[in-house]
Parts: sequence; C-alpha cells; structure tokens
Amino acid sequence: MTHLPYILAAYGLTLGVATVLSVNAAIRLRTARKRLAAIEQPRTRQPS
Amino acid sequence: MTRKSRRLWLVVACMIGLGSAAALTLNAFSSNIVFFMAPSQVHAKPPPADRTIRLGGMVVAGSVHREKVKDSPVNLFDVTDGQAAVTVRYEGILPDLFREGQSVVAVGTVNPDGTFRASEVLAKHDETYMPKEVAEELRRSGKWDPRFGKAPDAASWNTMTAADTPKKPATQTPDGN
Amino acid sequence: MNATQSLTARTGNLFHRYANPGRFLRMGAKLQPWLTWPALVLSIAGIVWGLFFSPADWQQGDSVRIMYVHVPTAWLASSGYMGLAVCSLLSLVWRHPLADLAAVEIGPVGASITAVCLATGSLWGKPMWGTWWVWDARLTSVLVLFFLYLGHIALIRAFDEPQRGYRAAAILGLAGAVDLPIIKFSVQWWNTLHQPDSITVTGAPTMSTSMLWPLGLTTLGFTLGFGAIVLARLRASVMESRIRTILAANRGRQSANPAPKPDSAAV
Repeated sequence: MTHLPYILAAYGLTLGVATVLSVNAAIRLRTARKRLAAIEQPRTRQPS
Repeated sequence: MTRKSRRLWLVVACMIGLGSAAALTLNAFSSNIVFFMAPSQVHAKPPPADRTIRLGGMVVAGSVHREKVKDSPVNLFDVTDGQAAVTVRYEGILPDLFREGQSVVAVGTVNPDGTFRASEVLAKHDETYMPKEVAEELRRSGKWDPRFGKAPDAASWNTMTAADTPKKPATQTPDGN
Repeated sequence: MNATQSLTARTGNLFHRYANPGRFLRMGAKLQPWLTWPALVLSIAGIVWGLFFSPADWQQGDSVRIMYVHVPTAWLASSGYMGLAVCSLLSLVWRHPLADLAAVEIGPVGASITAVCLATGSLWGKPMWGTWWVWDARLTSVLVLFFLYLGHIALIRAFDEPQRGYRAAAILGLAGAVDLPIIKFSVQWWNTLHQPDSITVTGAPTMSTSMLWPLGLTTLGFTLGFGAIVLARLRASVMESRIRTILAANRGRQSANPAPKPDSAAV
C-alpha cells in the first residue's frame, strides 16, 4: 500500500475517537441507570 | 399571536437578517476568499513583483522541463487556464500528484519578464475517483488522455468496471509482459 | 395569523409529547439497539471493504482510502451541527426541555467528529496536495464550524443557572448555522484547493461504484453511530436529572421534617 503511515494514522485516529466516545457514553448510561434504580426503589416503598 | 409564534417569527427575522449580512460580507470580500489567481488574470493585471500570490491552473502537456542546478532539481512548466499561460520556475521536489494535465496551485511572485517564481507547488486533484485499471483501459482504448482535460462521465465507465472485475487477471497479464 | 397560531400550538403539542422523561426513556431504550448494532456492523463492513477490497485510485493510489473515514466525518460534522441548530430552535421557540439536554449532549460529540474530519483531511492533504493545511474557503469554513462547536460547549455550561446557558447557547447555535451553507457551497462559489463534491443531489456521482459502496456503508454506519452515542448520552442525561430531582426532593423532605429518620439520612 502506498502512503501507509497516513492511512493508518487516519483510521487509527477515527477508530480511537469513536471508541472513546462510545465507551464513555456506555459507562455514563450504566452508572446513571444503576444510581436511578438504587434511588427510585426505596422511594416507591415510602408512603407519600 | 401567542408568545410562541411571536418568538418563532422573531427567530426567523433574525436568521434572515444574519443570513443576508453574511451573504453581503462574503460577496464584498469574495476576491480575498478566492484561493488562487488564474493565468489570464495575471496577464491582464500583473501584480507587483514583491507581492506573493497563488497561481492556479492546469500544467500544459509537454511543457515540463527538469534541470539540475547545484544538486537541487529545478522544474520549469507552463500553467494555463485555457486563455493564457504562465511559465513557472520551481526549485524543489514536486508533490506526488504532479503531472502534465494536473491542476496545480503555485505560491510565489511574478518576475518582471512575466514568468513566475514559485516557492511552493501544491497539486489539486479533481473530484473524479476511478480505479487504476479503468484509467489504464480508458487510456489504452483512446477514450481519454489524462494530459488533456477531465475524465469522461463516470456513467460511461462504471459499467466497464463491473464487467472488468471478474476478468481482472486477464487484463493485467498483458501489462505485466 | 390564526393559522400560524394553531400551527405553532399543534407542533408544540407534538414535541411536548416526547418531553415526558418517562416516555422518552422508554422509547429511547427501545430505539437504542436499533441504532447501536447496525452502526457497528455497517461501519466495520465499510472500513474492511474500504481498506482491503476497494481499488486504489488511478492518481491518488491507496491514499484514497482515507476518504472512507474523512467524508463520513465531514458529513456528520455538518449534519451534527444541523441537529444542534434544530435543538436551538426548539429551545428558543417552544422552550422544549429535552431539546436543551440534547444540545448539551450533541456539542462534544460533534466537536470530536469535526476534529477527526480536520485531522484526517490534513493526513490526506499532506501526501496528495503537498501540504497539511491551506487557508482556502472549504478548510477555513470547517475550522470555523469546529470553533462554533467549542463555543457552544463552553457557553451552555457557563452559567450557574442552566436555563440562561441554554438560551445563550441556542442563540449561538442558530446564528452559527449560517456557516453550514458556506461550507457546502464554498467549493463552488470560490476556487479552492479542495476539490468540488463528487456526489451531488442533481448530477451523477463522479466516482467509481467500487468506491461508492464502501463510502456509502461507512457514511450510513457512522451516522447511525453518531445517533446511538447521542441517544445514549441523552438517556444518561435524563436519568441524571431525574436523580438530582429525587435527591433534592429527599433533602427538602428532610429539612421540612424536624426529626429525620436515620435511614433516609443515609440516602
């Protein structure tokens, strides 16, 4: 392949940014879901 | 009128105002936004010798001469926009895409004799993307010579690509010989 | 006037149906896998096709493969900002709460994608044009778009009172939309080092079909991926705001109650 360093750098950068964004979103979603579940349960049991 | 529709019309009015302001500004400065000058513009109104300009156009087929002056390559070629041509002199290594018939942008100054001294040459490729085999096939069949102008319409060679793909080894063997 | 009134009211009702956080979370959870998995499959297929099975270009050689990541990110940089501008409009005119949260979440994703677009373009420009960067109209207008994203990210988080940040950022988001047609038409209005578009709405593409296919796959895959990431962030954001509301309510009950129970103090 010609220009291999440039191609690798471009694909590496794209995949790296995509991975960081996806993993960050997934972790954030999971943390929020767990915290919400933990908070909502005792609240539903409380008589309001 | 509810508050919502009042806000909507306010936003629309602001966008129209902003849009026309931007359009007027860009129109007023459009000569500065232009990235390069064409050879005919340089001919008609030669810029002062101390001003750096960008010259854009197509490399004339058969005009490229390479010399060696004290170990550094010197390239001489003509750049044209179809109406006028300017001879460019550039010391240094040309980009990979440089070839006859290619569009280039040269950065430099105009000499008093009308030639152009380039300090940098950039290659400008067009929007046509085609596989190497197709380009060679077009050249061999005489349908297109890259040294003289743009490639033919993609529709005319796309069917050729599909037909050629299965017999790719067959078309490559004559090349190898 | 009567017509516009009913139009804004009706569209407003339509949007506000999705403003209900519970309804949004239920719909978002259903939609998420339909975005995530096709995005992964299409992107991987497009990248493998583009890297190993598509032909090299007759003049650019293998460097043309950078196109399969550069063009989708360029398209997403602009369409992401279009999404931001739509959220800004919904926020300014209809005061839609979900649009504000969406604007907060689109900003960083769009800015990252625009940065990737600029960087991959640079990596393509160096071997082909012979330069990393030129100040031509296309490249400069995309750089302006990147700064608009950064400004929006900073502005929407700049105020202690979130509502003021939402308003200010929405105005910036709408005003910045002026840059979108400039990016689109820069290669036609002015002569630039960047080549004109190969794929247009009106004309036939000036690109071999063997390159068009992987490009279409990565474009579709990246677009769905952008949607999946924004949706996941938006769902997390809605859950986080719900958590804050519940905690605040609990604290309010505590301070109202003279003798708080020990177990509720632990929460």
